[in-house]
Amino acid sequence: MFENLITTLTFCPLVAALACYFLRGERLRSALVIVTGIVLILSAVLLIGSAPVSMTPALFTSVKFKTFIQSADFLLLGLILYFGIKFKNRIIIGLSLLQVIILGYFEFFMTAGTHEAPVGIFCDHLSLIMVLIISIAGSLIVLYALPYMKNHEKHLKLKKSRQPRFFALLFLFIGAMNAMVLVNDMMLFYFFFEITTLCSFLLIGHDKTEESKRNSLTALWINSLGGATLLIGIVLIYTQLHTLDIQSIISQVQGKDILLIPLALLCIAGFTKAAQMPFQKWLLGAMVAPTPTSALLHSSTMVKAGVYLLIRFAPAFAGTSLSTLVAVCGAFTFLSAAALAIGQSNGKKVLAYSTISNLGLIIACVGINTHASLTAAIILLIFHAVSKALLFLCMGSIEQHIGSRDIEDMRGLFGEMPITALVITLGILTMILPPFGMLIGKWMAIESASGNLLVILMLALGSALTVVYWARWAGILMGSDFSGKSTPEKMPLFSKIPLFTLLSSAILLGFLTPIIYSSMILPDFSGLVAAPFSIHNGIIFNNQGSFAVYPLFFIAIVVFLFALFLSRPKKAAQQVSPYMSGIQGKQPGSFVGPMNKVTTYTQSNYYLSAFFGEEKLSNLVNMTAGILILILIGVSF
Amino acid sequence: MTLFLYAIIGVILAPFAGVLVVGLDRILTAKFQSRIGPPLLQPLYDICKLWGKKPMIAHRFQPLCVYIYLAAAMVSVGMFFAQSDLLLIFFVQAVGAIFFVIGALLVPSPFSQAGGNRELIQILTYEPLIILVLAGIYLYTGSFKIDAIYALDKPLLINLPLLFIVFGYALTIKLKKSPFDISASHHAHQELVRGVLTEYSGKMLALIEMAHLYETILILGLCSLFWTTSIWGMALLLVITYLLEIIIDNICARMSFRWMLKSVWTTGIVLSAINLIWLYSGARI
Amino acid sequence: MLKKLIEKSQIKSPWIVHYDCGSCNGCDIETLACLTPLYDVERFGVLNIGNPKHADVLLVTGTVNHRNKKVLKNIYDQMSDPKLIIAIGACGLSGGIFKEAYNVVGGVDKVIPVDVYVPGCPAKPEAIIDGVVEGLAKLGELQQQNKTDAIAS
Repeated sequence: MFENLITTLTFCPLVAALACYFLRGERLRSALVIVTGIVLILSAVLLIGSAPVSMTPALFTSVKFKTFIQSADFLLLGLILYFGIKFKNRIIIGLSLLQVIILGYFEFFMTAGTHEAPVGIFCDHLSLIMVLIISIAGSLIVLYALPYMKNHEKHLKLKKSRQPRFFALLFLFIGAMNAMVLVNDMMLFYFFFEITTLCSFLLIGHDKTEESKRNSLTALWINSLGGATLLIGIVLIYTQLHTLDIQSIISQVQGKDILLIPLALLCIAGFTKAAQMPFQKWLLGAMVAPTPTSALLHSSTMVKAGVYLLIRFAPAFAGTSLSTLVAVCGAFTFLSAAALAIGQSNGKKVLAYSTISNLGLIIACVGINTHASLTAAIILLIFHAVSKALLFLCMGSIEQHIGSRDIEDMRGLFGEMPITALVITLGILTMILPPFGMLIGKWMAIESASGNLLVILMLALGSALTVVYWARWAGILMGSDFSGKSTPEKMPLFSKIPLFTLLSSAILLGFLTPIIYSSMILPDFSGLVAAPFSIHNGIIFNNQGSFAVYPLFFIAIVVFLFALFLSRPKKAAQQVSPYMSGIQGKQPGSFVGPMNKVTTYTQSNYYLSAFFGEEKLSNLVNMTAGILILILIGVSF
Repeated sequence: MTLFLYAIIGVILAPFAGVLVVGLDRILTAKFQSRIGPPLLQPLYDICKLWGKKPMIAHRFQPLCVYIYLAAAMVSVGMFFAQSDLLLIFFVQAVGAIFFVIGALLVPSPFSQAGGNRELIQILTYEPLIILVLAGIYLYTGSFKIDAIYALDKPLLINLPLLFIVFGYALTIKLKKSPFDISASHHAHQELVRGVLTEYSGKMLALIEMAHLYETILILGLCSLFWTTSIWGMALLLVITYLLEIIIDNICARMSFRWMLKSVWTTGIVLSAINLIWLYSGARI
Repeated sequence: MLKKLIEKSQIKSPWIVHYDCGSCNGCDIETLACLTPLYDVERFGVLNIGNPKHADVLLVTGTVNHRNKKVLKNIYDQMSDPKLIIAIGACGLSGGIFKEAYNVVGGVDKVIPVDVYVPGCPAKPEAIIDGVVEGLAKLGELQQQNKTDAIAS
């Protein structure tokens, strides 16, 4: 059963990818997407019962499979090299050649192709959570992509549809991602890690504009850098421990303060993938890709691969100075990305910075490396994936409707797109308000970070900055002219299903946090003296503090319904226009000025560019982050 | 169960206590300006009068925001009296603050928009300070729960003096006292009318005033945590702090939000860092 | 009981918005003088709130002309009931010495209903405070009348 499920989760998307690429009918594609999505979601859900499992499928032990992976590895690097040569990018050429040489040396001289086979598959609850996120959010996003891409291509006026390539890449990515979080062999992990890099590169460059080409190359070189550090880390670990088995590596290193250099390299690989400062540039550039790409790869899943790597190896470097430095780097990213987000009025860029920032928070939690903080990290991982996927999808709909990404252009969006505006506002609220899941995670993070001065300082500042850029966005989305009337919105079914599923799961999963914690997170911690949190009547607590999840949810629901009831439109209440110190014009946002001329006024949010502008902060942030990375390597020696 | 009872009692009594505090505040302010000032119960009259006005709304979602604001303020006060987690109380309070801003941003009026944005900057300024103060309390007591503070045998103030000053900054901003009455103030200011409050009127404004009363009580409650060992000490601390607030309010002009962000963050962070380092070092008086 | 409290409060908490229709600023200076420690109208709960949406009492000074009558009407419309309108100074009452001018409409009552007229050129602060108190008394009478009406019907 377990083996079948694993096979389905990894190979079904692969088959779907091939089918999408070669069968070009639109109807067929829709059917394919729906069927694959259902299969993926079902098998991911069925997998819940099986964890934790470690096993080696028969396939993995065969010599042919090994040779296949080896040659595929080289093929992949060759492909990256090819793109490097094609676009004349020296860094990419250099990095891919470096990887080819190291890999060749490793495979043909160090191990001569005979390293003992590690346990092939290891699926604990962390892997399970990742699989669930990838499969469910992934399927929903691909579903959403159906109407989106149709519109997108209509807008671009393409002669020949490039959708087959797009959907094939999305499915390939989902398969690779599922495989990556399940395998227990470092080399296989590296292989899938590189596949995701390649998928990201191809998807960012999908629209073939000058800008997208440039940005995709940035993404490729930064991620190749991550690949290279990952590979070097693996080789260094192998020279010491002579194994590629992830679990055995962790158990051998745990609590020994050894092998810090390769672990630091793994962390840096994780940082590049998760677009931590100073590697953030590629993720910002990646926003040129069609929105489903941003939702799937660049917010809810692929960037989480870096975080996954760190969480996986967290026990290996617990209690070391490396761990502290990881926490500081993460917290610094959290703070600086939040600050940079304040200066942005481009909605997608705000989302990108917020992704970077939240990943930083997760990494800070990993670095603090207590059971409580790891719990926080996983909870943040889950809820960030759900809420952010939702926000990106809404952003995509809005962008297609109003033709702009600028937050200022979304004033009064409720008047035009009531459903989307409502959904995105609720999505934003799930990011910043208790009792929703993100806030439970943040609460755990801050409580467990209070033991580290530098980290708590940055978390305190960062969390306040986060509130600002979200709240002002939510405020202007729901605003409309004073009548508050809105035209009904037409939305394709395939856009509606993902949006509402994601929204309801963001809310519902928040409610279920205590259950998620006790059934999905707690079992992963081995050798516990005391559980990081206890649960009683839906109150998560330990002797540091308590978060009353169920009571707060109960109060929130009651308050919300009651407030909704009290604020229902009443006839008695007189609608008034905003105060304008004079006479209002007939149109909202205007007043009667001198000579009876109707004058429209402009209003804008505060972006505080004097403090938080990109040009003010970027250099400073990059330099500081670079120094932090150097220190991180330094303390590992 | 007793805690739940405390919470209920706290929620019921808080607005009355708030009326007295705010009324006293207005009388003292008047005295400082050599005026006589309004009756003690003036805040109550104001709220009741506003409640009796004919409803007028500027945006259909505004009442929703106001009700949530009030509810969040009430819940946070209730949680305070139930001796819950300090960080959580702060987060719940933040829900209200955010909805208050969202309600102002809903209306396309330049005054409430500017006020809403300024209010956000105010939130931005005080939020990290309060989190740092709470982190300091945690470092000293080993817990974020209020009952751990009540279990102490020495006042918190002794080991957290600088954090208390930081808290004072946060308090002044939260109560919108000069020089930090940037998003709105008790009296209208030319360039902003009534800022974030401009578009709330009648019943909505009454509810907001109620929520302000709750917030005042919450903040004074948090302030009282710094001296829990004796009731007289607590009273003394509260009286002196609030008196200082009123004096500062009277002798300061309002400043710009840029100045606020810069000066408060620098002083606040430096002071709390010094105090936190002291706490980390493990030294205790 | 709540209703009684509200009615009492309406008398005890008049918030003011002050609009200058085109006065020579004499009356305005006198109006603002009421807020100073010498007169201290906050004793009666009066606050200069400056926003018609929050205010209960509209103080109007100066002559109404064709340009600002719309603004005056607009401010009046944005105040919610119950509200008091107090016209201050000779110009506010009738147009004063500008009454015959080509652009002048006349007193405030040409545009909106006025509850209390405070004469003077300029009106003295004492007179203005008296006007507000008079207005509040009128409000009290109105409350009584509403009550008897309710009983009668």
